[in-house]
Amino acid sequence: MNADAGEAGGAKKAFDFGAVVRGPGPGGETAPASRPARAQAPVNPSVDALRSRFGPAVLRHQVNAGDEDVVYVEPERIADVLRWLREEPSEHYDHLADLTAVDYGGGRPVEVVYQLWSIPRRKALRLKCELALDALEIDSATAVWTGADWLEREVYDLFGVRFRGHPNLCRILMPDNYAEGHPLRKDFPLRGRFSRAEQTRRALSQEPEDYYAPGEFGGRAPQTVQDSEDAPEEAEAAE
Amino acid sequence: MAIDRPGVLGAGTPAFLTTKLDFVVNWARRNSLWPMPFGTACCAIEMMASAASDHDLARFGMERMSFSPRQADVLICAGRVPYKLAPVLRRIWDQMMQPKWCISMGACASSGGVFDVYSMVQGIDTIVPVDVYIPGCPPRPEALIYGLMMVQEKIRGESLARHAELRAEDPEAAGRPKAGDQEVSDVTGPFGNSTQQNRVSGLVETSATGRAADRLP
Repeated sequence: MNADAGEAGGAKKAFDFGAVVRGPGPGGETAPASRPARAQAPVNPSVDALRSRFGPAVLRHQVNAGDEDVVYVEPERIADVLRWLREEPSEHYDHLADLTAVDYGGGRPVEVVYQLWSIPRRKALRLKCELALDALEIDSATAVWTGADWLEREVYDLFGVRFRGHPNLCRILMPDNYAEGHPLRKDFPLRGRFSRAEQTRRALSQEPEDYYAPGEFGGRAPQTVQDSEDAPEEAEAAE
Repeated sequence: MAIDRPGVLGAGTPAFLTTKLDFVVNWARRNSLWPMPFGTACCAIEMMASAASDHDLARFGMERMSFSPRQADVLICAGRVPYKLAPVLRRIWDQMMQPKWCISMGACASSGGVFDVYSMVQGIDTIVPVDVYIPGCPPRPEALIYGLMMVQEKIRGESLARHAELRAEDPEAAGRPKAGDQEVSDVTGPFGNSTQQNRVSGLVETSATGRAADRLP
């Protein structure tokens, strides 16, 4: 851990990675004024613009790794913030580079991360929303960026965060019949919840065709070949 | 033309030879093994290198990779198989015609390798019957060729008299796990790696609280 990260207040989070805290932190403490001088890129002006536009909805701001601006936002306002960041001409963050989540474990909140990029302004901005483990629900960003669709499905699949207003919130990586939970959560056992025998049985009970739309098989729907009237099961098994 | 040349079937000798039917059938089978490549990871790179000119798998009868299971004789599972892919592997195996053999190439296909996790099949022998396991991470092309030659040795020992026993297939077993529950539990048990989870001991806790760096301050 970076040397200058440990001197902030006692309520400081364990995962800090040398972050510089500006403004009130989660416990109300402020960063100490006397900080060793270090080469630092100027803070992204979008941070102050966000503060003046959304006020208390902007919880705090970090600078990670020298020049990466991270803004913690109130989860209830995230849809407004994202839409404003995209549509305000002075911000113009038109590219959602990534949408993911982090579970730091130990009962701490899950953080949903929005990595934005402004193609014309060549500026990056990272937004984070902290969601308590018993209230993993947040507004979907699909209305702002259609490309958030699969990213939010992935976050739902692996972390169990529900996105309000998502058009098709279902699993994307794990099998559809996966019943063991959300594997990237820290409370998920490494080898899964079921026995290996049960996992194997469930895996083989999948129908791989179900993962594809009918048109995806060579441009035409899969056809059921039926040899005789009395043995439809055999015909399906032989496909 | 060949009959005029001196030699085994040369001029003056009868143009036939006698041998065992088993030998002829096995000779034909083992020298035209067409692999069905099921490459999912880095092992597949070595498998491709085996087929390329330096190692030239075709010298041993694996004349070409058969990308259709219907025309393949030996399934080479090269790489890790997640549970989501397990039904695909099983279906490809079910689609292959008898006689057929299976090679599990590399540590991940044979045992799950380092991926002792929720998403990974712990050895494809729980899904399909395996004839030859090739160790390595990944195995070199020489190892794959050696494994294929071991399949050839296995074919050499087969007999048509035991065909029903060796090659019989139960249509009811299609799409089902190859191994029973107990066998799956036996072969997929934890290898005593660094995690704290051990299903045998009943301790199934793997939460982050076990790691000092993840504890709350």
